[in-house]
Amino acid sequence: MRIRSPRDFWAGLIFIAFGVAFIALAQQYRLGDLHRIGPGMFPTLVGALLAGLGLIITTRAFVLEGTPIERIEARPLGVSLLAIVLFGLALQWLGLVAAIAVLVLVGAYAARDVRFVQTLALAALLILFAVAVFVQMLGLPLPLWPTG
Amino acid sequence: METLVNLGFGLSVALTWQNVLYCFIGCFLGTVVGVLPGIGPVATVAMLLPFTFGVGPAPALIMLAGIYYGAQYGGSTTAILVNIPGETSSVVTTLDGYQMARRGRAGPALGIAAIGSFVAGCIATLVIAFFAPPLAEVALKFGPADYFSLMVFGLVAAVVLARGSLIKAIAMTCLGILLGLIGTDVNSGVIRFAFGQAELADGIGFVALAMAFFGIADVVINLERADKQEVFTSRIGSVLPTPEDLRVSFWSIMRGTGLGSLLGILPGGGALLASFAAYMVEKKVAKPPRSFGEGDIRGVAAPESANNAGAQTSFIPMLTLGIPSNPTMALMIGALTIQGIQPGPQVMTERPALFWGLIASMWIGNLMLLVLNLPLVGLWIKLLAVPYRLLFPAIFVFCCIGVYTVDSKVFDVYAIAVLSALAYFMLKLDCEPAPLILGFILGPMMEENLRRTLMIAFGDVTVFVTRPISAAFLIAAAVLLVVIALPALRAKREQAIQE
Repeated sequence: MRIRSPRDFWAGLIFIAFGVAFIALAQQYRLGDLHRIGPGMFPTLVGALLAGLGLIITTRAFVLEGTPIERIEARPLGVSLLAIVLFGLALQWLGLVAAIAVLVLVGAYAARDVRFVQTLALAALLILFAVAVFVQMLGLPLPLWPTG
Repeated sequence: METLVNLGFGLSVALTWQNVLYCFIGCFLGTVVGVLPGIGPVATVAMLLPFTFGVGPAPALIMLAGIYYGAQYGGSTTAILVNIPGETSSVVTTLDGYQMARRGRAGPALGIAAIGSFVAGCIATLVIAFFAPPLAEVALKFGPADYFSLMVFGLVAAVVLARGSLIKAIAMTCLGILLGLIGTDVNSGVIRFAFGQAELADGIGFVALAMAFFGIADVVINLERADKQEVFTSRIGSVLPTPEDLRVSFWSIMRGTGLGSLLGILPGGGALLASFAAYMVEKKVAKPPRSFGEGDIRGVAAPESANNAGAQTSFIPMLTLGIPSNPTMALMIGALTIQGIQPGPQVMTERPALFWGLIASMWIGNLMLLVLNLPLVGLWIKLLAVPYRLLFPAIFVFCCIGVYTVDSKVFDVYAIAVLSALAYFMLKLDCEPAPLILGFILGPMMEENLRRTLMIAFGDVTVFVTRPISAAFLIAAAVLLVVIALPALRAKREQAIQE
C-alpha cells in the first residue's frame, strides 16, 4: 500500500487521535440517558463522529491522489512560538515594556532577513504605542513594570 | 413605515458624537490593518478587540463593525495594487484589478471598488433593516429543538460552502465542537477536559483560538513563502472612474449587491462566497465585449460590491438568531458576550439602541470609508511599502496583548502558542479553519439545546422531526449534504471554488 495523499493521511490520523482522546476522557463523566443527558454523552458522540471521519480520511489517502505536504520549516514556527511564550513569562514577572521588547526582538528572528537596528526601533515604537494607547488612553489593566 | 421610524431612531443613536467617533476610529483602523497584506478581517477584528473594551456595548459593536468593513475595503486596495489579496474575499478582485493596475488604470479600479462597495453597503443596510426584525420575531418562537436543528443546518451549510475537502471540513467542525466543550459544563457544573487546570475551567479563549488560526499560524506560513511582488504605487492618477466606466459597471454593481446580500445571510456565506459568486455570474451575463481576466472593470465592480454587501448582511443571522455565519461574526458574538449581552432574537426588543444604532451606523461607516478611501488612497499605498519583516512582529504584539486583555490571564498567552502550533499543522494539511471556529462557538450551544429538547420530550428523539421548524432545517441540511455528495455537482462545486 502506498500513501497517495499524505495531507489526508496525516490529517485523518490527527482527527482519529483527537476523537479517541475525547471519547476516552469523556468516560470519567456521567453518560446519563436520553431523557437526562449527562456531561459525558455529547462529547462521546461527537468524538466518535470525529474518529469515524478521521478513519475515512486516512483510508481514503491510500486511494485518492493528493499533493505532497509543503516543507515544514522549523525556524518560523519555533521562533514565533518561543517568542510568544517568552512574552507570557515576561508579562507576568517583568511587565508589559519588557514583554513587548522580548516578543519583538526574539520574534523578528522568525524571518530570515533581520535588521537589528530596525527591529530595535520597531520594538521601541510598539512599546510607546502600547503604553500610550492601551494603558494611558484605554486604561486596560496591564502591568507596565516588574511587580514586586 | 415602522422600519423607517426605527432607522430614524437608530440614526439618532449613531449620530451622537461619541458613536460617530468610534465608527470613524473603527473604519480607520480597519482600513489601515486591512490594507496590510496577509492580515484578513478575522485577525484584524481579533487584534483590535481590546480597543473596544471599556466602552459601552453600542459604541463597541459600532466600532467592530467599522473595523470589519474597513478591513474589507482595505483588502481590495491591496488586491488591486499588489496582487496579494488583503483577505480571501478579495481574491477575485486580484484577477481584473491587478490587470487594470498593470495597464495604468489602478486609479479607476480603486475608485470603482470604493464606489461599488459604498452603493452595496447602503443597499445592504436597508436589507438588514427590513429583514432582520421579522426574522427575529420568527426566531422568538423557536424552541430548543428548532435551535438545535438550525445549528446543524448552519454547520452543514458552512461546510458545504467551505473551500477544500468536504469531509475534512466536517471533521474540523467536530474538532471545533469538542474544543468548545472544554471547561465547565453549564448543566452539571462538571469541569470537563481541563486536566485539573483551574485556568481551563472557563474553557479555551475564543479570541486565542481565532488569533492562532487566522493570525499567528498565518504569519508563520507567510514567512515560509517569502516571495516578492511588484507593487504599483508609482502612478495611480485620478481615482475617479470615467462616466463610461460608471455606465458599464452600473449593472455589475447592482448584480453584485443583490447576490452578495443574499449569500451573506447564508451560514458559511458572507463576503468570501459572495465575491466569488458575483465574479462567476458577471463572467456569464455581462454584455460583450468582455475582457475578464485582462482588466475588465466589471470584474472589479461586481465582486467588490458583493463582498461588501455580503459582509454587511452576514450580520442578520448574528443579530437575530445569535448564530454566527462566519468566523468574523463569531468574534462579534464573543465581543457581545464580553460586554455581558447574550446574543439572540431578544437583543432587538431589549436593546433597541444597540440594534438600530448598529444598523444605522453602517450607513455612516460606509460614507466614511468612501471619504477615507478615495482621497487618501495615497496614504494607504505608503502602508504597502512597509516590509513584512517589520509587520509581523507588530502582529505578534497586537495578538498577544489582545488575548491577554480579554481576561487579564497570562494563561491565554500560552494557550495561543499551543493553539498556533495546532493551527499551523492543520493549515499545512489543508484543513480549513473556518468550520472549526464555527463549531467551537456553536458546539456548547448545540449541546445545551439538545439536552433541553430531550429533557422536555422525555428522551424522545423523534421530536426533532415532528416539530415542523426543526424538521425543515434538518431536511434542508440533509438535502444540502446529499446534493453536494452527488458526483456531478461535486465536480461543479470544486470547479467553482477553484475559479
